Amino acid sequence: MVDLDNLEDSISSIYKHYYLDVFRFLVCFSGSQQDAEDMTQEVFIRVLNNLKNFDCTRNLKAWIFTIARNVAVDTYRRKRFTSIFKEGFFKKLESKEKGPNEKLEDAETVSQIHLAISNLKPQFRAVVILRGINEFSIKETAEILKCSETKVKVNYHRALQDLKKKLHIHSEEVFSNAK
Amino acid sequence: MQNDKELFDQIKQSFPYQPTNEFVSSTENRLRKLARKMDRNRKVKRVSLISTGALVFSMFMSWVFLFDGKQEVISSLTNHNTPPVLSETEEQEPLVYIYHTHNMESYLPEINKKGIDQAWDEVKNITQVGEKLGSSLKERGIHVIHDQTKVHEIIEDRGLRFEDSYKVSRERLNQELQRHSSIQMVFDIHRDSLRRNQTTVTINGKEYAQVTFVLSNSPENYEKNHKLAEAIHQGLLESYPQLSKGVVTKSKSDKTITYNQELKAGSMIVEIGGVDNTFEESFRTVEALADVIEKILKKQSH
Repeated sequence: MVDLDNLEDSISSIYKHYYLDVFRFLVCFSGSQQDAEDMTQEVFIRVLNNLKNFDCTRNLKAWIFTIARNVAVDTYRRKRFTSIFKEGFFKKLESKEKGPNEKLEDAETVSQIHLAISNLKPQFRAVVILRGINEFSIKETAEILKCSETKVKVNYHRALQDLKKKLHIHSEEVFSNAK
Repeated sequence: MQNDKELFDQIKQSFPYQPTNEFVSSTENRLRKLARKMDRNRKVKRVSLISTGALVFSMFMSWVFLFDGKQEVISSLTNHNTPPVLSETEEQEPLVYIYHTHNMESYLPEINKKGIDQAWDEVKNITQVGEKLGSSLKERGIHVIHDQTKVHEIIEDRGLRFEDSYKVSRERLNQELQRHSSIQMVFDIHRDSLRRNQTTVTINGKEYAQVTFVLSNSPENYEKNHKLAEAIHQGLLESYPQLSKGVVTKSKSDKTITYNQELKAGSMIVEIGGVDNTFEESFRTVEALADVIEKILKKQSH
């Protein structure tokens, strides 16, 4: 897929192949369609700029996701307390006030999920999304995040617990489901 | 587990499933355009090099034949005492190579941070100390190559690990050594991770960042590297007591860890200051180092 003599075709095929995965990661991370689109574009521009240095024996997808994760964390730092929260999560929260009907109950669950994810620490958030949404293996996740597999396991476990606590999924429920 | 899967399905459904079609196609177009531009730039560079060459050549020829430059050319060819057009330092072959394997190593007071493990910065880092050493040596007429490669970026972009830093930093070093056989000293400048009381000394009322020379115990070039490091250490002792903490050989059981010192005799790691020092203190040390390096190079050329 990487052909340095034809950058244009290379980047276009890489983009077509991975943009959806990258977008899904970023939209979960940021909670905003607009931000996720901006970041997706940024990711592939960085991929293009560094393509000539890429070691073709390595895992291309993992490399792209390392860049995606860097872009997400950079943007998070820049925008902390400002637009990601205001435009993304809280706007959706407001609709909650309008009263009970089936559609809005859905909206409520959605905003609860978004709020719970947005409240995870960035490194926990990345682990949960990579493992749970993008369905990377533990090994691949460790490669993307540049940490040990043990750390991925521990952080994923903690993040998941944290998430469930925030969403009020109690262990009793799990227990009764299991019966 | 069933429960986790349901949770993730719910999360997936709660987010927009894909970007807008408009975004998808406009981004692809933008990337294609950028890629074309990058390709073109590479070609333009080549073409412009050739055409500039042709232009210079034709100007020279017309000067020689149309404007009576012939006489000048002949006289300058026969006159051996023509003063050099370039400054001496530029014309000389490089004698010293400076680089930074851990290019982000920084000093805490310069970046307003506290913890030892935070003493890293993308801009305010050890590269500036290397640059200062380079300019101090150039002032003394010694031609220097200062490699400012951002090793950390290459590592990230290639998906390597921090331990691979030496592999990355040796790439350009190797190239330049092949290009310039004149290089006699190779300094990989680092910052020590010790605290202030172990890395600072006051000489004549001024505070200096102390320096340590570090060698790998891999056998190739070891003796020559050690000899040069010891000479610099002794030279510093004479005029700046206690500025140098001496030559340390890291006894790694793995002898393949060479810190690239097997590439050229006269190589060493130079640790300047610790996490709590400042650029000002390190720059003073660099001036002292430049003095000693100049003396050693002069001695060698005689």
